[in-house]
Amino acid sequence: MSRVPDERGAELRALFFESSQELLQALNEDALKLEKQPGDSETVRSIRRIVHTLKGDAAATGFQELSEVAHKLEDALADDATAAHGSLAEIAFRAADLFSEMLSAYRDETKLPSTAPLQKMVRDLARGPKTGGSRAEKGKPSSTAQAVWTEYEKLSMQRAANQGKLLYHIRVQVDPACAMPIAARQLVLKALAEAGEVLGSRPEAGSVEAVKQIQVLLASDKTAQLLSAKCQIPTIVSKAQVDAIELPAQKAATPSEMPATEYAVESGVECRQSEAEETAGASSHDDESAGRAAPSHVDNILRVDAERIDNLLNLVGELIIGKSMLQRTLNEFARQHPKDSTRSRFADAMAFQSRVLTDLQRSVMKVRMVPVEQLFRRFPRMVRDVAKQCGKDVELRLSGQDTDLDKGLLDGIAEPLTHLVRNAVSHGVESTEERARVGKPAQGTIHLRAYHQGNQVMVEISDDGRGIDVQKVKARALEQGLWNEQESGTLDEATALNLIFRPGFSTADEITEISGRGVGLDVVQSILQRLKGTIQIETRPGQGTTFRLCLPLTLAIIKALLFRVEQRLYAIPLNAVAEIARVQESDLHQVDNREVLQLRNRALPVIRLGNRTTEISEHHPSDRRHGKIFVLVTNLGERKLGLLVDELEGEEELVIKALDDRTVESDLVSGASILGDGRVVLILNLAAIVERFTKSRPGTGAGPAMGLLLSHSERARAAQAGTGGQL
Amino acid sequence: MEQFVPVKRSKDGQPVRYLVVDDSVFARKNLARMIETFGGQLCGEAGDGMSAITEYDRTNPDIVLMDITMPQMEGIEAAEKIVQKHPEARVVMVSSVGYQENIVAALQRGARHFVQKPVKPEVLYEVIKYVMGDDGTVANSATAGV
Repeated sequence: MSRVPDERGAELRALFFESSQELLQALNEDALKLEKQPGDSETVRSIRRIVHTLKGDAAATGFQELSEVAHKLEDALADDATAAHGSLAEIAFRAADLFSEMLSAYRDETKLPSTAPLQKMVRDLARGPKTGGSRAEKGKPSSTAQAVWTEYEKLSMQRAANQGKLLYHIRVQVDPACAMPIAARQLVLKALAEAGEVLGSRPEAGSVEAVKQIQVLLASDKTAQLLSAKCQIPTIVSKAQVDAIELPAQKAATPSEMPATEYAVESGVECRQSEAEETAGASSHDDESAGRAAPSHVDNILRVDAERIDNLLNLVGELIIGKSMLQRTLNEFARQHPKDSTRSRFADAMAFQSRVLTDLQRSVMKVRMVPVEQLFRRFPRMVRDVAKQCGKDVELRLSGQDTDLDKGLLDGIAEPLTHLVRNAVSHGVESTEERARVGKPAQGTIHLRAYHQGNQVMVEISDDGRGIDVQKVKARALEQGLWNEQESGTLDEATALNLIFRPGFSTADEITEISGRGVGLDVVQSILQRLKGTIQIETRPGQGTTFRLCLPLTLAIIKALLFRVEQRLYAIPLNAVAEIARVQESDLHQVDNREVLQLRNRALPVIRLGNRTTEISEHHPSDRRHGKIFVLVTNLGERKLGLLVDELEGEEELVIKALDDRTVESDLVSGASILGDGRVVLILNLAAIVERFTKSRPGTGAGPAMGLLLSHSERARAAQAGTGGQL
Repeated sequence: MEQFVPVKRSKDGQPVRYLVVDDSVFARKNLARMIETFGGQLCGEAGDGMSAITEYDRTNPDIVLMDITMPQMEGIEAAEKIVQKHPEARVVMVSSVGYQENIVAALQRGARHFVQKPVKPEVLYEVIKYVMGDDGTVANSATAGV
């Protein structure tokens, strides 16, 4: 097919761009594999298959240039001698890069990159150790151009004639447009075999000679006309001529010899097949049995625009709000008409509806889930490249690739994770010499893993490098004015480590090209905050560092705990709440200018959410009477903190409406939601609150109070934005 | 894309049903579009040989368009298995020139025909008509002598 115009062409191209990305990814993976095991025939086969598919797809889309390069590479790979070539992995990498560049050039309609360097590499490869010609030339030379039948074939003819069969000499001209004469020959032989017995053919059966004229000796009881029609295979045969052969009747040779020809044909194929199976390895058989047991779902996949799914989820969210509106109305109704019998029917219907709604929500959510593998698979190539640039030897281990994660989250963590992995290679793992000096294996290891923990998904990047020097972090923070000396003395290790997330912080002695660009750790953290996730660091001097990203299962709907501070409604994700304690004001102590709660013999730092909680509570006789405060004990990474709140409202499923920066200036709020009765609740960003808390200088200004609550005008705007979304 | 005179099944006048097997989504889509222009119906898709077999069992198509090189189980093997189980199966191999020997093998194992990649609609159309043989009729054209 030539280049397709019109919008259908555009659609095809879009599809091609998408599917080719996967092919390139697979190509990169195979190249990596090949680099580890040079000459692995299975990998070479796989690469060839990928290049082949790419070639075909590109040609069908009308991207001739790409198709041609791929074609050349594919041809080079077909030769076993070149396939074993050591530089093949490098070529595969180059090819992946070049293809990728060409694709972007096609997409952006810019100038295509030069294919010359790769083509030269491919040519050099083909010239390699063996000067193997094309496969067609390698076949043994044809016996003759004209049909000269062998003694054996003549005997067969005789025997067939004796059985009363008619003998034909059939000449078939293969269609010039058909580029596969050998396959064409096979098809002709097959067609004729249905009409009679093929006694012989030129080229001989099983020959790899690519000739466009085929001659067949056929014994049949059909007429010449019928056989001629049989030969007229569209797209394959351009001309067929059928001549009857007259033979004097004679005594036949032993019939038992007859099947020998066929047997030879079959065994020839058998060989080829067994070779193929050898290279395919036992795995294909394993796959087969596995596939039988559980029919593969691979092909029942529907590609859907993510926007449509988001839309669906949004509607589910609206439904949930609707449900809680209904619930409230029902409660109201029940209060007003406690005797009404329709009440219980209402309740049943409500219960049923909410069960279905929960299932619906879960199903829609599942649609958005994708395995982290989609993200992980890009790293092996990256680690290899970065390690090469740094002159290091680093192995990347992946585990838990099948852990599912919300697509939005996955896209969100791509950038931070990339940064952390680059960091791990360039800063985490030591140079080979340094590793040798401290007695570590020369090859560094980076372990990337994902797993579920409770209601969260964890993504960890561990290296076995030198670890982070906490003293150095402190010193550097001091130098860069991020902390003052007096405070740095009192810093515990975890807090000190968190200094590396401050903007502008770097302990690297030199900024390498690799990690010196792009996002810094501060950006990593702020992205995670936006995703309502947290990041933890564990480091052991000399043994390595682990960065752990803790992510919520989904972004859109959370179970939240609602509470009031200064008569205003707020929420935090329920999974962040470890427990709720009711304590006396007297349980609170001042330590180092910070408030600390004595909870079961452990000191828990607490944060007052209100500006003047204590003063206000003095005006509230009820609070004063009880002298009790609610403390929400929250888990934030490995740290525990207590939040002091005035009043608890209950827990509820919240559909988060994102707030843009213009609506709310404070990063302390991560979103808003609308309750069934139309009230707007702000969802607090715990990580940011804790951040603000640790950063605020105690003893200055307003004391321990945070003053984080939004001004009234901000709140009003948030409410508008929230309800606006609903209307 | 040009429209072809639809090829229908002789027995019931229904559209010819196709199973398209290729590991490239793109290639499948491309073939599916062509099938549409032939008045055919796509009844199943598979991305590897193994699912091709299960899909065949499930959909019982009139024609299978089968790629040669695929992960897990290649087209030849899948074609062979399908034909073994369903001798009436019409498997058409779809592949490029480089895999000629595989096509030969597939034809020996029961594939009915082959088309070369990139597939030209007019070529595939002729092949389909041929492979359907008496079981296919070219609708709306009583005069069409194949």
